[in-house]
Amino acid sequence: MTDFTIPILEDQAGWAARYTTGWLKHHQDTGQFDWKLYEKPSNAQPIAGGAVKLSQARVVLISSAGGYLRDSQAPFDAPHPYGDYSIRLVPTGTPLNQIAIAHDHYDHASVDADRQVLLPLRHLEDLAREGVIGSVSPNVINFMGYLPDAARVVDELIPHIIEAVYAEQADAALLVPS
Amino acid sequence: MGLIARAVEQFGVATTVATWNGDRTWLTRPPRVLFAKTARGSTLGAPGDAAQQRHVIEATLALLERDAPLEPVTLDEA
Repeated sequence: MTDFTIPILEDQAGWAARYTTGWLKHHQDTGQFDWKLYEKPSNAQPIAGGAVKLSQARVVLISSAGGYLRDSQAPFDAPHPYGDYSIRLVPTGTPLNQIAIAHDHYDHASVDADRQVLLPLRHLEDLAREGVIGSVSPNVINFMGYLPDAARVVDELIPHIIEAVYAEQADAALLVPS
Repeated sequence: MGLIARAVEQFGVATTVATWNGDRTWLTRPPRVLFAKTARGSTLGAPGDAAQQRHVIEATLALLERDAPLEPVTLDEA
């Protein structure tokens, strides 16, 4: 696993302790979600990174919409109160009507009407054909964006995503939250 | 998404985020982020509006041609 010089989540241990004794404990004790007890993850230190030449870059799409292959992959555990920290790789050339959505925390009306509001597979292919970007990676990296435990995001989800980004041999990543 | 962007950028792959929820996304300090005036569940634009979706995507991708960290960029017309 990559050893990050700058923290992904500053004071991760402190955040995790407050999450565990606050929001999580309240839910475990009462079965109720009290978002007033939830501390939004935050950082102060920026991350530096070099520019890329877009017309030569292989771009990977990372989506939190909860997309998965309807006929061959298990859906994300969308109803889980503490989230699902796994990923699904979907081939970029997949017909949009073969991608299903498992995510219980946003209104699906728009994405059901047009998958490209969150999963712009055809747009990225067009941009590659037009030479705006160099190419699109073979797969889209999907996860389900209801992830209240930021420490698990760092410790469980991010290693899966880094491994996938490496496998896609991407130069750049377009991240689209839902 | 901001936490993921920070990790992927440090891994050596340039990142850019499109978001409708700029205040929340910026809390985590991603390297490059575009604030789009779109809605939850349709981050890149309205359903069926391919021109708007393309506009948001291209504006977000264009940030990759600049060194990070960047201050957030707001797309006023989308």
